[in-house]
Amino acid sequence: MNLQPLYDVKERLEYAAIAGVGLLGEDFRLQRAAQGLKPLASASPVFAKIDSSLDALLSAPAKQRAELLLDTLALVDAVAYTQASAGLPGEIESLPVGGGGTCQQISYGQLHPLLTALTSTGGGRMEIVKSTWESHPAYFSDFRVLPALVAGLGDSYSELAELNAEILKKQGPSVLPLLKKDFDPAGKRDMERRVEVIAKLEGAQAVPWLHDILPQAKKEVRAAVITALGRETDSTSLLLDLVKSERGKCRDAALQSLALHEGDAVRDFWTAELKKNELSFSFLSASPTGWSSDLVAAGLRERLENLLARKKRLAQGEWEELNLWHPLVLKKTSPAMLDLWRWIDDQLEVLDQQKNAVGQPLLQGSAMTEWLLNSLCHAGPGPLCDLCRELWEKHPDQPRYLPHALLSALMTRPAAAVYEEFAPYIQIKRPLTGSAQKQRLHGAVLKAFAHIQREESTGNYTLLRGGSALPPLDPRWISRLLGAVWRTAGDREPEFMPFSCGERVGEFDMTLVRLADASDQKISAQMTLYLRRRMAETGAFYSYGRWLLQFHGDFRDTLAESLRQTRGRASLYYIWELFSLAAASFSPEELAAGLEKIPIADGLRAPDRSVAQKVIPLTVASLRAGEPFPEWSMWRNMR
Amino acid sequence: MELTEQFILLQAPNPAAAENGRKLSKKGSFSARRRTEDDTLYWADCAGSGSRPYHVSIDWSQPDTPVCRCSCPSRQFPCKHALGLMFEIEAGKAFETADIPADIAEKRAKQTARAAKKEAAASSPPKASRPNTAAAKKKLAKQLEGLDAAEKMVHDLLTAGMGTLAGSSAQTYDKLAKDLGSCYLTGPQTAFTRIALTVRTVQKHPEQADTAYAEALRLLVALHSTIKKSRTFLQGKLDASSFSAEDSVLFEALGGVWKLEELHAIGSFRKRARLVQLSFDVTCDEAKKEYVERGWWLDIDSGEISQTLNLRPLKALKYVKGDDSRFGLLETPVLYLYPGEGNRRIRWESSSIRPLTAAEQAALPALAQPDLAAALKLTKGRIKNTLAPKFLASLVPVGRLGRRDGETLLEDPAGNRIVLRDRPEEGADHAALLRLTLLPEEIPAGSALFGLIFYDERDRSLCLHPYSIVTPERIIRLQY
Repeated sequence: MNLQPLYDVKERLEYAAIAGVGLLGEDFRLQRAAQGLKPLASASPVFAKIDSSLDALLSAPAKQRAELLLDTLALVDAVAYTQASAGLPGEIESLPVGGGGTCQQISYGQLHPLLTALTSTGGGRMEIVKSTWESHPAYFSDFRVLPALVAGLGDSYSELAELNAEILKKQGPSVLPLLKKDFDPAGKRDMERRVEVIAKLEGAQAVPWLHDILPQAKKEVRAAVITALGRETDSTSLLLDLVKSERGKCRDAALQSLALHEGDAVRDFWTAELKKNELSFSFLSASPTGWSSDLVAAGLRERLENLLARKKRLAQGEWEELNLWHPLVLKKTSPAMLDLWRWIDDQLEVLDQQKNAVGQPLLQGSAMTEWLLNSLCHAGPGPLCDLCRELWEKHPDQPRYLPHALLSALMTRPAAAVYEEFAPYIQIKRPLTGSAQKQRLHGAVLKAFAHIQREESTGNYTLLRGGSALPPLDPRWISRLLGAVWRTAGDREPEFMPFSCGERVGEFDMTLVRLADASDQKISAQMTLYLRRRMAETGAFYSYGRWLLQFHGDFRDTLAESLRQTRGRASLYYIWELFSLAAASFSPEELAAGLEKIPIADGLRAPDRSVAQKVIPLTVASLRAGEPFPEWSMWRNMR
Repeated sequence: MELTEQFILLQAPNPAAAENGRKLSKKGSFSARRRTEDDTLYWADCAGSGSRPYHVSIDWSQPDTPVCRCSCPSRQFPCKHALGLMFEIEAGKAFETADIPADIAEKRAKQTARAAKKEAAASSPPKASRPNTAAAKKKLAKQLEGLDAAEKMVHDLLTAGMGTLAGSSAQTYDKLAKDLGSCYLTGPQTAFTRIALTVRTVQKHPEQADTAYAEALRLLVALHSTIKKSRTFLQGKLDASSFSAEDSVLFEALGGVWKLEELHAIGSFRKRARLVQLSFDVTCDEAKKEYVERGWWLDIDSGEISQTLNLRPLKALKYVKGDDSRFGLLETPVLYLYPGEGNRRIRWESSSIRPLTAAEQAALPALAQPDLAAALKLTKGRIKNTLAPKFLASLVPVGRLGRRDGETLLEDPAGNRIVLRDRPEEGADHAALLRLTLLPEEIPAGSALFGLIFYDERDRSLCLHPYSIVTPERIIRLQY
């Protein structure tokens, strides 16, 4: 049966309701639709009923039309529902499955916040995704979450998009079909991130796919594809082609990748490229290749020779440009680079005399010995160690290469031998003669130690810059350093703020704390004595108090003296925090005794004194009654 | 007693409270953990923002309804400290055995006495409360008066045309609709608000005018029908001086709220019901300004599909406990059913959940409709009723899933087909069709698909909005 007349009537009735039944009498289209239904009315009783309803509606007075319209519409709707079709005829193709996720039992309360964070905008989303990733990483492999995670690669909050990318990288190759589905090579940042994730997950197997999409890839996506292809060792010839054909970011990506490749063709290309464009040197900073080391050495030498030959003062721009070479020399250890350092050593005095535009010495030679020290720290054991030793032996009376030699020795020689050789430079008695020279050498050794740290969790020693591992230090160093007569090479010791609490502490003490092993009882005992003395001398009660706790020491007897040193500037909050930390080491009675010794009137800043007068006796009493050390809110609320 | 994460999440007033409790447990805020020898009471101290730790305890005398007590000032119940203590128990942390603290023993005794009193009251025949006939008569008269006003509003609206329902006109209707509330007609009041909101969509999104007006008209037809039927119903009650609750959908359509004892009184309950949740979702009802948390349940004895509705007004969101997805088999001694046909609303007072056995799970797909034709017939019969929603939740057997002409199709084992689509009224956050294509594996033979069969005005066909797949091994939820 052709139901179109019924649908025509339904449509006209709906229009009539929207336009108003007041106009019903003039609606010739409805009348025409009602006429069209007449043949059906004779075929079926239900259509006959609709027909009579329509007749009643069209002939009704204005007052009754609204009710009749709704009655007729209800009847028409009911017939339309019962006459509804379902399905589609013909062959059907199977529905693809295998989205890469898993089916998990995750409740609305657990899943909805995550999906909302991944798919909406606004603040607080990063925290939800982060905390869910930490507490329930399995949720991210759910088939309902994965599409949201992939879509989240284009989140306008780039940090969240990066986090999503990192999470996807941890999901394994099963998410690859989803990442490749609806991939748009001409897309934006989200597609660029997809390329990064796919390349990370598939590694070398992604190469055919990357080659497939390269011709259509545009802008950011193209640069990402080139970068991904560049990681493959057999893509050298492709990259050599791309650096000729690409422009802008895409060429930069190709150059960045090509800088990591080996071979004569690559060397030849870079030689020509650097001649044409000196700015391209910046792409060589991460290159571990021998040719890049040679080219950087040649380039820097040429630049320095030009500067020296000119015998003119350096303009600000020239000096800044020269400093751009610093990151380029790091980790470069080819024979040509070693020769460059030797040549620089020969030119040090001239370089130090270079002056800026207003006639001040730039000390460029000294700066370059710092470059060498940094390069050594980044490179670790290897040819640079030998070079540093060689340069030190060439100038044994100068402090310039002493830090280099000490760090090289620490990397390559037995700890005891290094101590025997270098410990004498740390003066533990004031020398009667040659004091200035000895202080400079003493300071150079301290400078070397400022580059080392001991990791509390593992007990391993590492270099702060570059992160190279070092063998354990000879424990005698700590005793020697504790007895040092000078804290620095010069008059003024650099200061730092270790706990962001406003207290400034000298570099020497920070180095000591960083090097000393708190698990060694003997060292801990020595450090405790030293730190208590320094706490009293400096007034930095919070910093030294925390370090004393780190070395299992007791700050309570020294606290009063240290607080007096502050001359009424100590904050009650930091006293609370110190005791709160100490609560893990001391008994309630010990804490109470410590609190009682606080010189409120002499030590604390004026606004805190009245509160301290109240909270300290109260806390002492509650500690003695067996209560735990209170929260800060309790002290704060006593204001 | 075996405590599961799902059980803890169900106790929480909201997901944030559960998460905060988990964090407390994770960062080691609990100390002095104790339990009684018989494992019925767990207690501990929990460090909070105050100077003294909070004393928190959980009484497991009734394992399905633990009693949480805490000395914190939180108005959430259970508080994050009690939930944190549950996570401590779930994590298997060590609890020292100790005697029950005196204060808790006292509270427990009082509670036992109260429970005994309640039980005694329940077992004794209920006191026949004398109905206040004068007040009931007055209410019915007021409702009839309100129905007249509602009818006039419908008449005026259609005379002027629904297209005029905009700007100040819509505000006037909002105001008139509010007056219906004072006539105990919150149902029609909400219907008017819903119509006004739907028509306002046309102003914001003119491209959706056709669907918005169609939806508004459906609402208007339903409202008109409610007014007509209710007038007869209420007049009949008034004439017969019958003021007790009756098994009629009109009570709820007018805005009435059923109490469990009323449902019990009209015999609308079933004993010892066993239910499995097929799906869970949440929508925001802008007209009523509340969240609707809906669970779809399959009665494994009768095969009926029912729904639970947890309504949380936006104004009192934090004071009304949220519902959540539930997994496993829920057993309740008494299941209350709201009047109506097809997907009736259900409630219960007490229940317990246990995992489904393999045999129980394997039997679930067999509870589907015999075929698509039967499900479609039921749907047509249901949606042609003007008072009923224009969809029916059904479980239908799956033969295979496939694609044709850009549509996704379900074919039952008998070869009947239905187009799978997301129901537009459900909103983008209920979109589930795409998820069907992301399933990790093929749907095994003998499975069933649960979803809403609805009438799609666009091509005048019946379609299925998929919600879950019930396989012999598990239920795969496309929603929650």
